[in-house]
Amino acid sequence: MARILVADDASFMRQMIREIIEAEGHEVCGEASDGIEAVEQWKELGPDLCTMDIVMPRRSGIDAVRGIMELDPAACIVMCSALGQETLVNEALQAGAKDFIVKPFKPTSVVETLNRVLEKSD
Amino acid sequence: MDLSKYRTLFVEEATEHLSEMSRALLALEKEPADAEAIDLIFRMAHGIKGMAASLEYASVTTVAHTLEDRMAVIRERGFAAAGGEMALLFRGLETLEALVACARETGDAPPEEHPQALAFCAASRDLAAEPEPAPEAPKKKALSP
Repeated sequence: MARILVADDASFMRQMIREIIEAEGHEVCGEASDGIEAVEQWKELGPDLCTMDIVMPRRSGIDAVRGIMELDPAACIVMCSALGQETLVNEALQAGAKDFIVKPFKPTSVVETLNRVLEKSD
Repeated sequence: MDLSKYRTLFVEEATEHLSEMSRALLALEKEPADAEAIDLIFRMAHGIKGMAASLEYASVTTVAHTLEDRMAVIRERGFAAAGGEMALLFRGLETLEALVACARETGDAPPEEHPQALAFCAASRDLAAEPEPAPEAPKKKALSP
């Protein structure tokens, strides 16, 4: 079981991804609703993985990836993107994110991606 | 996954997003280069698109996506053009309000071929076919006494 931090400004999306993660037997150890909170929560909770929305207020998801990578260069971060955000996804991957999932979420695809990233980090 | 609770959440969260969008649009109408308002409207449209797509609310997804694309153009340009473009943004807001009201009343997906949504998307395509507005001249600051 992994401890996962969920960062998304929409409570709807946080709940949906939480449901998918918990159904797989992982624990959601924290939630963040913007990029600043995401970095703070990473520092405080030290999760195994973070799902990170790209478009968020105060500090974008990509900038939050940079912030987390400075704190923890081995951090496992999976971006949550939408169709048409390929350029931003590439930017996030260059900043250190390990992979990405695409909205609308398909539970099997989300689980496969998260488990693959977690296995690689072991 | 049981989507019924997400339908309620969608109506609640989209209604909040639309209130914020409405306030930001009024700010943008007063100050067409208001970067904060431009960013907020973009994010609200993007957020509604993501939630609607998760519930397969096609008409909401399309309208929010169209509005998001227009906001991306405005963000790149640095200001919203008065006249047709501002009118389109307000029309996008009204269309989303009508679609969310429909979801609230029926508890189900708004019709895919919603007339207001189709008209908004057609108006957006018409505007996209028009030439881009000229860059705004820098505003002159009033001289201090």
